[in-house]
Amino acid sequence: MRTRALGVAALTTLALAATACGGSQPATPSATGSAAPSAAATQAQGGKLVIWADPNRVKALKPFAEQFGTENGVSVEVKEISKDNQQTFLTASQQGSGPDIMVGAHDWIGNMVQNGAIEPVNLTDAQKAAFPEIAMKAVTFDGQVYGAPYAVENIALIRNTKLAPDAPATLEDMVKQGKALKEAGKVKEVLCLPVAQKGDAFHVYPIFAAGGGSLFGTTASGDPDPKKVLLGSPESVKAFGKLKDLGEKGDGALKTSITNENYISSFAGGKCAYLISGPWAMGDVKKGGISYDITPVPSFKDGKPATPFVGVQSFFVASKGKNKALAQEFVANYVTNKDVAKALYAADPRPPALTEALQEVGASDPDAGKFMDAGKNGMPMPAIPEMQAVWEPFGIAEAAVVKGGDAAKAAEAAQKAIDSSLKN
Amino acid sequence: MSSPPAVDVREARGAHAPPKPRREITTAFLVSRIAVLAVAAALLLYALPPLVAARSWPAVVILCAATAAIAYLYLTRRFVPAKYLIPGTVFLIAFQVFPVLYTVSTAFTNFGDGHRGDKRAAITAIESGSVRQAPGSPEYSLTAALKGEALVFLLVDPATKQVQAGDAAGLTPVPGAQVGVTGKVLRAPGYTVLTAPQAAARGQDVTALSVPTPGGLIKANGLSRAVEGRATLVYDARCDCVQGEGDRWAADEGQGYFVNAKGQHLAQGWQVNVGLSNFARVVTDPTISRYFAGVFGWNVVFALASVGTTFALGMAVALALHHPRMRGTKAYRIALILPYAMPSFAMLLVWRDMFNRDFGLINQLFGVDVDWMGQPSTARFAVVLVNLWLGFPYMFLVTTGALQAIPRELTEAASIDGATPWNGFRRVTLPLLLVALTPLLISSFAFNFNNFNAIALTSEGGPFPAESPQVGATDLLITYTFRLAFGTGGAQFGFAAAISVFIFAIVAIISAVTFRRTRRQEEVYA
Amino acid sequence: MKLSLTLRHVFVLVVCAFALLPIVFVVSAAINPLGTLASTELLPKGASLGNFGDLFASDTYPFARWFLNSVFIALASSFASLLLSMLAAYAFSRMRFAGRRTGLLALLLIQMFPQFLAIVTIFIIFTKVTEMYPAFGFNTVWGLLLLYLGGALGVNTWLMKGFLDTVPKELDEAATVDGASHAQIFWRVIMPLVTPILAVTALLAFIGTMSEFIMANVFLRDPESKTLAVGMYGMIAGDQRNANFGMFAAATLLTAVPTVGVFLWLQKYIVSGLTAGAVKG
Repeated sequence: MRTRALGVAALTTLALAATACGGSQPATPSATGSAAPSAAATQAQGGKLVIWADPNRVKALKPFAEQFGTENGVSVEVKEISKDNQQTFLTASQQGSGPDIMVGAHDWIGNMVQNGAIEPVNLTDAQKAAFPEIAMKAVTFDGQVYGAPYAVENIALIRNTKLAPDAPATLEDMVKQGKALKEAGKVKEVLCLPVAQKGDAFHVYPIFAAGGGSLFGTTASGDPDPKKVLLGSPESVKAFGKLKDLGEKGDGALKTSITNENYISSFAGGKCAYLISGPWAMGDVKKGGISYDITPVPSFKDGKPATPFVGVQSFFVASKGKNKALAQEFVANYVTNKDVAKALYAADPRPPALTEALQEVGASDPDAGKFMDAGKNGMPMPAIPEMQAVWEPFGIAEAAVVKGGDAAKAAEAAQKAIDSSLKN
Repeated sequence: MSSPPAVDVREARGAHAPPKPRREITTAFLVSRIAVLAVAAALLLYALPPLVAARSWPAVVILCAATAAIAYLYLTRRFVPAKYLIPGTVFLIAFQVFPVLYTVSTAFTNFGDGHRGDKRAAITAIESGSVRQAPGSPEYSLTAALKGEALVFLLVDPATKQVQAGDAAGLTPVPGAQVGVTGKVLRAPGYTVLTAPQAAARGQDVTALSVPTPGGLIKANGLSRAVEGRATLVYDARCDCVQGEGDRWAADEGQGYFVNAKGQHLAQGWQVNVGLSNFARVVTDPTISRYFAGVFGWNVVFALASVGTTFALGMAVALALHHPRMRGTKAYRIALILPYAMPSFAMLLVWRDMFNRDFGLINQLFGVDVDWMGQPSTARFAVVLVNLWLGFPYMFLVTTGALQAIPRELTEAASIDGATPWNGFRRVTLPLLLVALTPLLISSFAFNFNNFNAIALTSEGGPFPAESPQVGATDLLITYTFRLAFGTGGAQFGFAAAISVFIFAIVAIISAVTFRRTRRQEEVYA
Repeated sequence: MKLSLTLRHVFVLVVCAFALLPIVFVVSAAINPLGTLASTELLPKGASLGNFGDLFASDTYPFARWFLNSVFIALASSFASLLLSMLAAYAFSRMRFAGRRTGLLALLLIQMFPQFLAIVTIFIIFTKVTEMYPAFGFNTVWGLLLLYLGGALGVNTWLMKGFLDTVPKELDEAATVDGASHAQIFWRVIMPLVTPILAVTALLAFIGTMSEFIMANVFLRDPESKTLAVGMYGMIAGDQRNANFGMFAAATLLTAVPTVGVFLWLQKYIVSGLTAGAVKG
């Protein structure tokens, strides 16, 4: 009997403890609700602005954040998040412990908007004009500007000018030259472009587009239409066929053994003459002492333009931030200035989005301008939430054809997988 | 062997039976009780004021009751097991049980991207996201000011330089205001102009103030600019719908979306109860059910192989080192625990690259050309091998500890009886080891059954057959189903929770059955 | 006997080679000025300690701070969780009460739930805690420690309960007859007997905390307050994977240093049973 009583007592205590945690839940809305109107609370909170960024940008942002803080009599904190930044932001925001300002890529916009996590940013016409068209297009979602761009990045063809002095006019020329160099024993790989076992949709997209393939149809307003997935279309099948020809059973230019981990270092080590990558590769390329040039990714002979995806790094205003007026001020009026853009460039060399900053940076570093040129006709990464359903099936289809699989079958399977997850 | 358990039970009960004469109140007893009371009081003093300030009365009551219960528990001589269990259990409940229960509760909702908040939040987001600048309206430069105690916007039209004051009642002209070069108002009769820090401190009021105009509302855009805008989508409580842009979206409480006549919905949704539909989806979704048996089979093989190989290798090395004349054991042990001492995510990535066909160390070392991660059988071998590498040091350490507890006389007695070393091991050492380690083997099985990282960071579930990109050869139930829950159109937490409940049920049944079989063992050797 | 000893050495050496092979690879990446995982060469073309130097000189990555944070958190948390789980294991092994086996099974099953799903709840709890008790809120070491204590009972209790079961009951019965209270038995009789497994568990808890990543990532947001695992992940996050790999490899190696240190410190307790057992017998 005693033991029973004891168990019951223990259980009651546990239940008590459980309700102690659970019991405080209903209090959440009332506590935050009552804090808002009270003047004292406003004063206490009024003085703090919190920015979340990834580790590489925190250092560069700090001095500007502090300067903004002094000018406006507030304290500004820059915090860093290392992993799953978007999801962490969404979850934290929802629970009321998120930042006032979030730094991230433009293709998050769709998902953040459907979660009501960010607010439109009002840029004046003069401010908008200071950015290239593609940057503004990228941060515009559903007719509304949701972020202030600060850097534009896209991939381009980087070539070892010692091994390949001239920029190839077509993809065929490039493959021919690469194969010749490989046969001559000067390089080990025809082309350094990451494929890996699961494919890499981002890096292969320009070649896929050059082959005539496309992901989505377009809506009346010109945005990608998630109801019209085109991966299984005859044009896309043909493009997958071209990838197959470049693959392991064909030219050997695309290989699953070339991965995100080794493609840049292989180029930097002189193991291939051509690299398809972005500004983030340049640190290693320079360290490797390679003489190089950057040109747009060429297309097939008689092919469509080899449009790379363009990603735009931006500042967003959190809609559940405690200090939205300040956040708007910072994002719309403060951070869109060229000194900030240049400092961020110095910390991590991706071409600044501001045209003026790009020109100044370009004067000392021509790479920035060359990357920008390569992406001029690029396609902003689709910011619609549905894009998340595309990456993996597309990648797997790519890897399958690169390994020599049937293009039509792979394209059809990808189309089916995407359609079923989007419930089309 | 049959009597000790009986005695034990009596003793455990007897701990709180009528005080025995020899259990006197000692100094240690007094000091420990005073310490308990002091800690309880300190906790209460620390935790109470913020709750009182927030007026969370239920929480206050619960806190007091819990503190009292804990104080009582340690003051009384009764409830001995609870004294030992409570400290860990409190934390367990707060940070493990509660999260699990909460997660399970989300399995009955559509909680996920697009459905994170409540309906009110969705409406706010829809309306504020639809605000468009009124065509042809100026970009006012804004100066925050006070009229008496109330906040007003001093707005300067950049074209005309005309100054107006805006408050909740509307716009009024401000004659005689002095405007600086940046467009900021420096002085205005009848108004107290706020400096930037002063305005920043009133940030929330600035955000909240909207000045009505004939065409819409003027809202602050930061602290130095204001624009006139109009929400093109407006929620109407009478029809429970959102109207605007020539269309009408009615609230659908089943989906948590505003849906129009064509069946299209607005992007922002809210969290609603969906009953068992997440569970139904796990069972009925053809992409899950078609591959379930295959994935489940491999999952069991993977978990068994991981536990079997790590335990076998870990124990073998521990036994090999467990010899009085073995030299250099310290160095060996350090080398052997190193795989466990490195951050596992880093080492998983290293292994993946070692298996690379053209660039990997393995092919080069053995002079072969195998596409390890590209074929189902080799990929499966590779992930088990990697998991063996990661896991055997753990088993090695645990076995080493367990071996110390086995009296050497027992093994020596066996060898004197003429048993071969193998028989001695099988009859004496192994059974004793298993007493200590069986529970651990069960928990290790359960851990590996759900070992997300071991797959996600190495093979990523692949290789994938071209015709079915959803399921790969090395996919575990958890990697495979979570790809469905998180890979397609955002995170679907509700669905993921339902999947977890299913997998949880499977593991629970396997573990519970195995665990029941250990009861006998426990009673025999205990 | 000689042969058998030699065989033992050979076997252990082979396993050591297996254990060290990938680590040699990491060493090679760490001393390779063009640090990368991709090279097939075990011996890099050039060797330098530049990556280690960069690591400590880096502005972006305050490695020394991470190192101290990790060691502090791991020591504090493993000590506290050892105590909590030992207490619970004692109750589970030595006492018989209603719900004992159910409790044990429940402990096991709770560990089975995918931890990253719990992040949402962690936010719910700690948003509230940050508001009420900032000292234990987000971005504090103390809050993280509290959170880790939630996992203290988990696997460790099972581990230690298994070992306590092998300690003969007659020992505590004798002590009870001598008039010892349950607390005295726990501290004076049981604890000294199980030092090997205490040491093993402490080491496992230490390593577990050193490499814990998911919770620490959502918890610690100042560059200076991060732990090694979180900070290092940031080094190779996204596009930075290649650029920082040499530094990352160097950091990976250094991470093992505190663990090996703790192991060396605990080793004498782990193997103490060898001699102690012989004498006692």
